Amino acid sequence: MLSFTSNFKRRLRLPRLFFRKPLEIESIHGGPPLEYVRPIPQLPWRGIIAAVVLIVVGAASAWEIYCRSIGYGPTLNDNEDLWTSARRRVKPDSFVIIGDSRGWFDLDLDELEKGLGKRPVQLAMAGGCAYPVLADLANDKSFHGTVICSVVPRLFVAPPSSPPMDRAEKAVRRSHTQTPAQRASEYLAMPLEEHVAFLKQEELTLDDLLKRLPIPNRPNAQVRPRLPPYFGTLDRERRARMIEECARPGSELARMTQKIWIPLFTPPPPPTYIPEEEFEKMIGQAISQRFNDVAAAVQKLQARGGKIVFVRFPYSGELKQLEDREMPRAGIWDRVLKDTGAPGIYYEDFRDLAGFSCPEWSHLSAGDSVEFSKRLIPHLRAALEM
Amino acid sequence: MLFNSLTFVVFFVVVVAAYWSIRFWNARKNLLVIASYVFYGAWNPPFAALLFSTTAMDFWLGRQMSRAKGHRSRRAWLVASVCMNLSMLGFFKYGNFLLENFQWLLARIGIIYQPPHLDILLPVGISFYTFHSLSYTLDIYRSVLKPTKSLRDFVLAVSFFPQLVAGPIVRAGDFLPQLVRPQPLRTGQFFWGLLLMTLGLFEKIVLADTMLSGSADRIFGYAGPLMAVDSWLGVMAFAGQIFFDFAGYSTCAIGAALCLGFHLKDNFRFPYAAIGFSDFWRRWHISLSTFLRDYLYIPLGGNQVRPVRAGTNLVVVMFLGGLWHGAAWTFVVWGLLHGSYLVVERVLRGLFEHRAWANTLATRLLGGFATLAAVCIAWVFFRAPNFTVAARMLGGMFGGHPHGDAILTTREMLQIAFVTGGMILVHWSLRDSNIETAVLRAPPWIVTAAWAFMACAIILTQGNSNAFIYFQF
Repeated sequence: MLSFTSNFKRRLRLPRLFFRKPLEIESIHGGPPLEYVRPIPQLPWRGIIAAVVLIVVGAASAWEIYCRSIGYGPTLNDNEDLWTSARRRVKPDSFVIIGDSRGWFDLDLDELEKGLGKRPVQLAMAGGCAYPVLADLANDKSFHGTVICSVVPRLFVAPPSSPPMDRAEKAVRRSHTQTPAQRASEYLAMPLEEHVAFLKQEELTLDDLLKRLPIPNRPNAQVRPRLPPYFGTLDRERRARMIEECARPGSELARMTQKIWIPLFTPPPPPTYIPEEEFEKMIGQAISQRFNDVAAAVQKLQARGGKIVFVRFPYSGELKQLEDREMPRAGIWDRVLKDTGAPGIYYEDFRDLAGFSCPEWSHLSAGDSVEFSKRLIPHLRAALEM
Repeated sequence: MLFNSLTFVVFFVVVVAAYWSIRFWNARKNLLVIASYVFYGAWNPPFAALLFSTTAMDFWLGRQMSRAKGHRSRRAWLVASVCMNLSMLGFFKYGNFLLENFQWLLARIGIIYQPPHLDILLPVGISFYTFHSLSYTLDIYRSVLKPTKSLRDFVLAVSFFPQLVAGPIVRAGDFLPQLVRPQPLRTGQFFWGLLLMTLGLFEKIVLADTMLSGSADRIFGYAGPLMAVDSWLGVMAFAGQIFFDFAGYSTCAIGAALCLGFHLKDNFRFPYAAIGFSDFWRRWHISLSTFLRDYLYIPLGGNQVRPVRAGTNLVVVMFLGGLWHGAAWTFVVWGLLHGSYLVVERVLRGLFEHRAWANTLATRLLGGFATLAAVCIAWVFFRAPNFTVAARMLGGMFGGHPHGDAILTTREMLQIAFVTGGMILVHWSLRDSNIETAVLRAPPWIVTAAWAFMACAIILTQGNSNAFIYFQF
């Protein structure tokens, strides 16, 4: 009868090769052959793998069904690689939309193509600052096209290293450093994301699900405000459209999103380790620097024959009150136009643009984005002297 | 190409399917060479040429060394190989670092010199494949390896894609013998390889990236003073993150190699259950520590010299080990700290090793705890981008900021405690064993459930292709 130890060794399949004499041919590389062989646990592997596949497919299917049942649908994730694929489509004389999510949701590319004669490239991004993208276009010596820049003051003057700047800088950096492997991964991911609802970064990942656990925090713990839930879809051209559930006035999703905008747009308290006056001075300097940088980028772009128009898109409800109070028009918008000398379209200044209402206070519904784009075209043509 | 990317999944399926469907051994090896260069070129195609040129040079130098008659000429060929490899590494990795320090030195003596910033792109994994290749000529010089006659085999040994960019550092002497004859496809080995790949990805994607990296980044990126609990938890989060990140990569590499019939040695052996620092380095990044031991520490005299000299050797080796990790003084301090730890341990062992109390359970546990704490203190320098941040972190950890900020949420604190606590528990329970034995002892349904759980967690996490930490080295 075999002892436990020898049985154990047999089940670990210690290699017979290990004990045999090396062949002549094997000595060409020197040393004994296969000096190290990993032990392999002898288990019923075929049964195990069959069970694992069944469990994983079953669990993924159940999760997919559940996510769809609570309103999620398949859509592309807006990551740096998708942005890079759009950036690659920019030609020297393209129309390019940059800035934040309002320029993303509120403009319809089909209507703009009809009205402007060219299909714009969508480079605006949710929660992104316009400056890094503007600087990138200004530094692109081949580019002499037209830029439509959405302005949400809080994002437009976001300080360096803040999430809006990081987001835009990461995308720009990726467009310059994307590896063939990253590009291939994007092409492989797109068909999956277009068919599977639970593949939703910043929403349905394990990390996001953990963040939603209702665990009370320590006093003074720095908790980042929550990001809005899924309320729009995205296609390969990076066209964003609000889903119907959110566009329905008074819907649960619209109300939930409204509640999230308020803390997200409320300025965070100054850090405890910097005196308040010094902090305000630093922020003031950072904003001035941003104006200077934007003016320099616009100048560089215009020197090559490029054009830019700044646009303030509709926003409403309590969010409008908050934005107007924290970042009044004179402080940011007027100064951008003054410093750059570029034209601007503030939706409230034009009766045909002012009548739109945002279901969740920040963006237009898919239907309204078409109408808004139609009405915006004459103003764009006038501003750009087309 | 990252292991945690869709591209790699497709690449690996295609390579494995093609590999096992080819009958001829030489054709299989050719396929692996092409696949490895595609894997590497997918980052930056021109650097594949650099990889090949380094490899071809070492192949030629190895051959010249074996043909050389006298000891002096053998040594000359070795010096040529070492200089070629280290100058390549030095240029790409340390070029700007050396220039900046040269500028600083000149400024100390009143000379203002503004060097041009070299816009050098670091080839991914250069520290690893340089050592893969260098081990070949070093082993030929030491007469423990005969030069291979096949350039293709040597190219494959250096560039074999599972271990190419982030280790383990597989010596040519360990890999070349495996290229002599083909291994048959063994079901158990193949599935065990797949299970190891799942485990490695779980460690990387779920434990390192999802559960720990966010908290570590927040703590080390915070510009203000922190409470002691936040500082310690941040350091523990990083200790867990770097283990799961690097051990995860090594486990994936071992698993991928097994699926192709190759055997790579363990690179980690439950390091956070180490008792003492020499024990730690026998468990952490084993392929690097044994490389430094065999090719640097022992040639310097090892421990066969006077104690002071042996201590100096240890510090020198760890200094270079620190510098290997990155071109920054923080890495040097990390290495020097570990060197000092090893010297202190050697002194203490000399004084107390034979005392009865030195081997009691309580002493061992205390030793393990002290080792972990000291390793964590050293991690501060490894993770901090500069000495200001390191000093602030250490200040927080040792009560320097009694009114510091509390920035971690309760969820983050629980995640760190749960994951790092579980990690330490697993390391202690398996410290004298291995993963194969643990799996063999578990009932098959436990293995099935654990595997399915890890796969589901990976899918749920979705991943965002964060690079492995060790890629930058």
